[in-house]
Amino acid sequence: MNSVISLLQPRVLSSLNSLKRGDKKNKWSRILMFGALGIVFWMGTFIIFYRVLSYFHSVQDFGDILAIKLLSMIIMTFFVLLLFSNIINCLSHLYLSQDLPLLHSLPVSSKDIFLSRWTISAFDSSWMIVAFSLPVFLSYGLIYKATAVYYIIFFINMLFLCLIASALSGILVLFGAKILPAGRIRTILILLGVIMVITLVLVLRLTRPEQLVNPDSFASVVVYLNSLQTPNSPILPTTWLSDAMIAALRNEPYTYFLNFALSVTFALMLVFLNSIASQKVYFTGFSKSQTTPRRLFSPLKYKGWDWENALNFLPRESKAFAIKEIRTFFRDSSQWSQLFLMGALIVIYLYNFSVLPLDKTPIKTIYLQNIFSFLNIGLVASVLSAISARFVFPAVSMEGEAFWIVLAAPVKIKNFLWIKFFLYYIPLMILAEILIVVSNLLLNVSSFMMMLSIITTFFLVPAVLGLATGIGAIHADFKSENPANTVTSFGGLLFMITSFALIAAVIILEAGPVYQIFMANLHGQTLSLSKIIWSFFSFGLAFSLCILAIFYPIQLGEKHLIVK
Amino acid sequence: MIKLSALTKDYGTTLAVNNLNLNVAAGEIYGFIGPNGAGKTTTIRMMGGILAPTSGKIVIGGVDMATHPVQGKKMIGFVPDRPFLYEKLTGMEFLRFSGDLYNVENKIFQQKAKFLLQQFALWNWADELIEAYSHGMKQRLIIASALLHDPKILIIDEPMVGLDPEAVHMVKDILKDLSANHHTTIFVSTHTLSLAEDLCHRIGLIHKGTLLAEGNLDELKRIAKLGEAKLEEVFLTIIRENTFI
Repeated sequence: MNSVISLLQPRVLSSLNSLKRGDKKNKWSRILMFGALGIVFWMGTFIIFYRVLSYFHSVQDFGDILAIKLLSMIIMTFFVLLLFSNIINCLSHLYLSQDLPLLHSLPVSSKDIFLSRWTISAFDSSWMIVAFSLPVFLSYGLIYKATAVYYIIFFINMLFLCLIASALSGILVLFGAKILPAGRIRTILILLGVIMVITLVLVLRLTRPEQLVNPDSFASVVVYLNSLQTPNSPILPTTWLSDAMIAALRNEPYTYFLNFALSVTFALMLVFLNSIASQKVYFTGFSKSQTTPRRLFSPLKYKGWDWENALNFLPRESKAFAIKEIRTFFRDSSQWSQLFLMGALIVIYLYNFSVLPLDKTPIKTIYLQNIFSFLNIGLVASVLSAISARFVFPAVSMEGEAFWIVLAAPVKIKNFLWIKFFLYYIPLMILAEILIVVSNLLLNVSSFMMMLSIITTFFLVPAVLGLATGIGAIHADFKSENPANTVTSFGGLLFMITSFALIAAVIILEAGPVYQIFMANLHGQTLSLSKIIWSFFSFGLAFSLCILAIFYPIQLGEKHLIVK
Repeated sequence: MIKLSALTKDYGTTLAVNNLNLNVAAGEIYGFIGPNGAGKTTTIRMMGGILAPTSGKIVIGGVDMATHPVQGKKMIGFVPDRPFLYEKLTGMEFLRFSGDLYNVENKIFQQKAKFLLQQFALWNWADELIEAYSHGMKQRLIIASALLHDPKILIIDEPMVGLDPEAVHMVKDILKDLSANHHTTIFVSTHTLSLAEDLCHRIGLIHKGTLLAEGNLDELKRIAKLGEAKLEEVFLTIIRENTFI
């Protein structure tokens, strides 16, 4: 046990040291930003659940059934989330971290290394879910006027929910890594997870749940509600956990003690099994993970034609960077899942526009179509910000410890950053313009709105990319084991906030003049001189903001990288 | 070929390099030795254009690295102490990437890359991803890529770390050949005193950021007031006394 505590120390001390030391101003601004975001999210969750549950509570019979069903669904969702995040974290912590060779060289048993790493992984995977489950269960407690016992049961229940999910993941990962190298398992899992999420989202979206508010669909809702009364399987840990919570809400001591006892004994048994299994198989799996698995796909070559030739129009150093960037991107399996997600996002985005019930609204269709089209610019830009946060913002950090190659090469840092910028600019510009044009065609908007959307997007795309490249360079982390995760760092949040502020500013600046021009066109009038000057000024300011966002952050990023 | 004038690097909490003055002539092999934390890697990183100096000047082949870093870097082949590379590229792809950045002509590249990969016993691994390479293989690949564009100046930080005895012998021969037959200037930092003794025309000894002594082995022995002695004894004496230049 002493070894396990010692092995946990580097993690604890590192966290404490990074809290104690470092730039104090930066640290407080981080705490403030993350704190504020956390509170907003927490409050939002609480308000939504409180309102939904209040509504359920006010509906006789069905309301309570729905509330109880919702609770078991929430616990089931949390459990699946915990299981998935624990498996991914366990694989990283147990088999792929850079410090593992050092740990395995120390005179401690594999079991102790496993237990210490598993503890860290369980904590990392669980704390956020526990924190954000609080507003959900607090609203249940308040609505159903629960006693103190409910809150105690909630805390213990959450603890054991996390423990069961972590322990199950531990066992799965231990035996999985014995069969396949850990890196390959992670790839397969990520792909499976993403396919599962995409299928779920697509099915949910394509079944058009908004039709439930349509009176014609009420018959199917009643059938659905009847099916809700079917009890959950008694052999599932999530059933024990949700039954304990429901019993605590209803103040039924026998039921909650029984279910609570089931959860605790099951969790402890799993921990014990983990401890035994780790002794037997952990080291074998770790040893297997040290080998490099064969490549899943071979390079794309057809009758001597090489895809690289398609980039021959680029200057030589740019082509070299472009090829390197494309190769590393497609050979990194963690990136593939993001591409699938992006594809699904586009399909759902366009599908939503195709099913908008514009003809059933009391407002004139022409107004709605054009309002949607105008707001669509902001939506597309926001989607682009999210994609940039995932791909463009970490692009500089992706160089990792190999960044010395760029610094030592006869290439200006400015050029390096612009190459990164253009590599993402072309595909993202095409993507954004396709989204805008197709959604406008689906909305059947006026030619003025079509042109405005295309031109605004044309300037917003490089502006958002400039921000992502520049802020990504300023906040580059070359030591991160997973640079893609830097999006959740202070720099990532700063980029998202700046990017949304820019999009909002451009939309607000354009809104006034666009309305005037649109109304004038509709009524066949001409604009007065003052309105023309105002429009010119507003569009000019929006344009200047975009230009500033393209160049200034990259300039700052360049300075920052040179000083480093 | 290499001229460092009053070069200083202050990290805020540590003065890593303090007012360093140094000249290396064309074709010369200059050994840079010193204990851990002496400022060797910092100096080398500043020379390679990876780190900006706090003050002072670096002139490489007549080019000021502060004003024209790109021209300067074109003349340099840089080998860092730790072989961090793009793990998802193959060895050959990395050489191609390097060749493109240093503008190596296509015709020359093909034969040069093949020659270097064969010379460094990496030809059979040319199409494998770098992530599958051992530490020593990565180090050999970095040295090969540094030689790809026939640099006038080679700056190497700890060249033999991770190399097997055969590779050490091979690298030593290559460096000697480059200096003697191609007039390449070589600046090499090392802990391996026998290597410095065997390879270098002149040796500079740095300690706590300050250059304590400089010269060929005989001159260093005189400075340390030692008769017949190995470089190891000279090194220890100078470090102990700490006041030679």
